[in-house]
Amino acid sequence: MLMPAGLLIVLVLASIAVDMSLVHLRKRQAFELAAAAANDAATAGVDQGRLRTTHDYVLDPERTRAVVADVVAASELAPELARPPVVTVTAAGVRVELALEADYIFADVVPGAPDGTEVTASATATAVPTP
Amino acid sequence: MIRHRGGDRGQVGGIEVLPFGLLVFVVGTLLVANAWAVVDAKLAVDAAAREAARHFVEADVPAAGDFGDAEAAALRAGYEALAAHGRGEERSSVELTGLESPAGRAGFTRCARATFTARYDVPVLRLPWVGGFGSGLDVTSRHSELIDPYRDGVPGSAEACS
Repeated sequence: MLMPAGLLIVLVLASIAVDMSLVHLRKRQAFELAAAAANDAATAGVDQGRLRTTHDYVLDPERTRAVVADVVAASELAPELARPPVVTVTAAGVRVELALEADYIFADVVPGAPDGTEVTASATATAVPTP
Repeated sequence: MIRHRGGDRGQVGGIEVLPFGLLVFVVGTLLVANAWAVVDAKLAVDAAAREAARHFVEADVPAAGDFGDAEAAALRAGYEALAAHGRGEERSSVELTGLESPAGRAGFTRCARATFTARYDVPVLRLPWVGGFGSGLDVTSRHSELIDPYRDGVPGSAEACS
């Protein structure tokens, strides 16, 4: 009687490990996407008119948000977004916050268990002139 | 003297279920192992696509249409990322699948979006020391980055970016 129970426990624990690693994978993907979006927006979102006239590094909020939206839309993770990205433009740079859905593989079979979870990630970027 | 033996009912009751239990365990283990292999491969191809794209957009190129060396270096970086995750080239591929400027032209120009796609063919069954068997799932990852509009080493002007 103990042997079948032991085998079942091993399988259940392995399933939990795979589901948790899937959440970890989604978290890493969220960080990478946020970092890529912030990195692109920190330069492509610059107010070019002010940069050329006054040499000031100032981000155009509208353009910065458009760049982030383009990066997210071009990503394969776009369908997994829980909500639109939050873009905060400051004098120092841009901060991007993302929330992605992470669906479980094995937890679905357990009645009453959640189908997935939500992972969040944020990244900040700024442009620094080379010496 | 006659000894009365007991009946054999229940002597081996349930023993025929053991092979089925073992089969369920083996199939379950393979299912979990395959699911883990796909998750692990996804981590590897994510890293490969990201590294290739980063190398490409940071490269110095002499002209907008002359990015062959930059592409080769980016692909090498992608394959090295896969190798660092223990993935061989024989089952994987890294390629530049998109390079488009805001004006819609293909070329290494400022603000052009470079997209790299990495693939890995996860074997159906992978055994220690023996290797993988069969062609299982094709795990794919795509990563894109913009070529910096204001850095040195990029042909053209940044005015088209606005």
